Amino acid sequence: MWNRKSRWNIILFAVVVLLLISSIFFLWMKTNIDVRSVVEEQYQNQQLLLTRQISNSIERSLNEKVLLLEVIAKKDTGVPPDYYKSDLKSVYDVAGMFYVVEYVAANGTIVSGYPDEYVPYGLNLYESNQHRAFEMVKASKDVYITEPLKLMEGNYGSFIWIPVFEGDKFRGAFIAIIHEADLKSRYVVESNSSSYAYLLDERGRLLYDESGNYKRGTNYAELLGSDSPGLVDIISKQVNGSEGNGKYFVLDNGSVVEERLVSYSPINWYNQKWSLAITNPSSEVDRLIVSVYLKLFIVAVVSVIFIVFVSSFVVVIIFNWSKSLEKEVDEKTQELKESNKSLLEVNKKLKELDRLKTEFLSIVSHELKTPLTAMKTSSEFLQENDGCDVSLRHQMLDIIIRNIDRQSRMVDDLLDISRIESNRMRFHREPVDIEETIKVSLEVLDSIIKEKHMTILVEVQDDLSLINTDKDKLVQVFVNLLNNAVKFSKKKGIITITVETEDDIVKISISDNGIGMSSEELERIFDKFYQIDSTSTRKVGGSGLGLSIVKGIIEGQGGTIIARSELGKGSTFVFTLIKQDIEEYK
Amino acid sequence: MHAENISGKILSLLEDNPGITIREISNKLSVPLSQVESILKSMSDVRQKILIVDDEMDALLALKVALEAEGYNIVEAKDGYEAIDKVHSEKPDVILLDLMIPGIDGFEVCSQLKSDQLYSHIPVIMLTARGEIDDKVEGIELGADDYVTKPFNLKELKARIKMVLRRNQDI
Repeated sequence: MWNRKSRWNIILFAVVVLLLISSIFFLWMKTNIDVRSVVEEQYQNQQLLLTRQISNSIERSLNEKVLLLEVIAKKDTGVPPDYYKSDLKSVYDVAGMFYVVEYVAANGTIVSGYPDEYVPYGLNLYESNQHRAFEMVKASKDVYITEPLKLMEGNYGSFIWIPVFEGDKFRGAFIAIIHEADLKSRYVVESNSSSYAYLLDERGRLLYDESGNYKRGTNYAELLGSDSPGLVDIISKQVNGSEGNGKYFVLDNGSVVEERLVSYSPINWYNQKWSLAITNPSSEVDRLIVSVYLKLFIVAVVSVIFIVFVSSFVVVIIFNWSKSLEKEVDEKTQELKESNKSLLEVNKKLKELDRLKTEFLSIVSHELKTPLTAMKTSSEFLQENDGCDVSLRHQMLDIIIRNIDRQSRMVDDLLDISRIESNRMRFHREPVDIEETIKVSLEVLDSIIKEKHMTILVEVQDDLSLINTDKDKLVQVFVNLLNNAVKFSKKKGIITITVETEDDIVKISISDNGIGMSSEELERIFDKFYQIDSTSTRKVGGSGLGLSIVKGIIEGQGGTIIARSELGKGSTFVFTLIKQDIEEYK
Repeated sequence: MHAENISGKILSLLEDNPGITIREISNKLSVPLSQVESILKSMSDVRQKILIVDDEMDALLALKVALEAEGYNIVEAKDGYEAIDKVHSEKPDVILLDLMIPGIDGFEVCSQLKSDQLYSHIPVIMLTARGEIDDKVEGIELGADDYVTKPFNLKELKARIKMVLRRNQDI
């Protein structure tokens, strides 16, 4: 079915289809990556916004609280009699975030505070050797905030030291403690399972870790492995106090466990420079766009299916097309072959006809020349020998006359053949008595019958009526057949003529017990000039047209003629005539 | 018995007994009297002998009469086999051979004769109603000495016969 060329076509087609499919998958992958990077960027920006918002709110809130105390501390009215107690109370109430606010007098003794139960009244910082920060704010005249320290209560909190000056005179300091737990609620992002927040101080130490996995105060970079790609960079930026996005890979024994996205934003709270970060595994991004992945995948798959469908459809169409084309070509080839064959046959027949025509002409000219030879020789002899013997003269004249007759018989035969072959033979039908016709024919052949001492038996069915045919032609038929029968019989042979009727046909047979014919000869006896075979050997004289004429006459009247023969046993010719419309003549 | 042998035997009888009668010869060789007579007659015939081979009786008859009038001794054959026999028995001086004859055809007769050393010297004039070049060529190739197309001119045929006879004598 598929020849070499079309197989190459199919391979080319398959390559094109595969290219299309792979380009679709390539585009799908590319789109995935693009979508992912866009979504990741958006996601990180969103995380950054969130981080910034949280850090800003923490920063603002912390600063506001401290500012409240600063405002009191900047009052120039001097230390009030209640040692700021009422102010501290109102600050505590307004801020709602402090664990405790205290006032330390200039001598280092805690003299007031709110709420009372947490205030260690009378505690002298110098005495308890806790005056370092007190001294520092006294010197710097500026707010100082400690790192979150472990409190006596066991939890962590930042100490905020605010120096109180009256003019340039140092009047002591406020101490406020903010519990880390109170801050926590602000860090806590509306977290889902995989994101968490952490807080670093300016030295990169962990202040807070929402996941709770890591101990506070540890160096975050060391904690997670300083070799984690990207992490060092992120931490250094956090320590610098800048804000931004970053990502790093979490390694476990050198292999990448997961990629994490980090958004960080600084919290500037007086001297404390913190950096809040929210971290997410990047799979979170994937989780967000998994549906997009899925849809793109479906689009890709549908496209591939479409391509495969269309291409297979095209293949089927082309296949059928080429098949039908092939079929058509085959049919046409077959037709051409057949027509060629028939043309060859026609050509062969034409050549055969041409050959037969040439042969016919050659035979005819021979047959016409033969009597002419005898006539010419005889007449030339007579011309040359005027005074020759009378009997010799008669002999020669006889030859001439005989050959003239022969010549005219030959011409008649040829005319008959010509009429038969061109269907121009006319039959003058009349009611004919068969028995009488046979009698006439036998009379014509009387001399040769007697010469050979033949016995003729005629058997005619009694009730045979007249039949409608051409009498002269029928005589011609009988004469020819009987003449043949006599010619091919030995001396004293027997010829039997039987006439019988079968329904509306008359069957006439003429048999002899002569030399007969071989089956090859039998096949060709009705051919023109058959008696002269290819070796130009003539067995028995005659024009060779007799049987052809007989056949023409019989068949021209709608009858049939057949011959049966056996070599050495004789031949039988059977012909039929139709008794048509005989009633009309009665 | 073969005609050739008979004539040879008659000859030897005549040599042995110059006075022997025809009847005695006939009895001795147990051959019919008439045959001995005809053989003796032909043996004494000094005319040049022409064998005419043709199956057309009228053509043969006319030619025979015409050539006999010219003083030739005419022998007839009606088919190929008879022609070969007649050549063997009569040893004609010239053969007029029709191509279309029953038995073996003229070409075959000619080639048989020309391939036989005993008879290849006998000139053969082919006679045929066919006039095609091919026939002529074939006839000549087979060793026919001349070729005359039917219907021929009697004078011409006679001239040709004379010619081949003379040519043969010269050799």
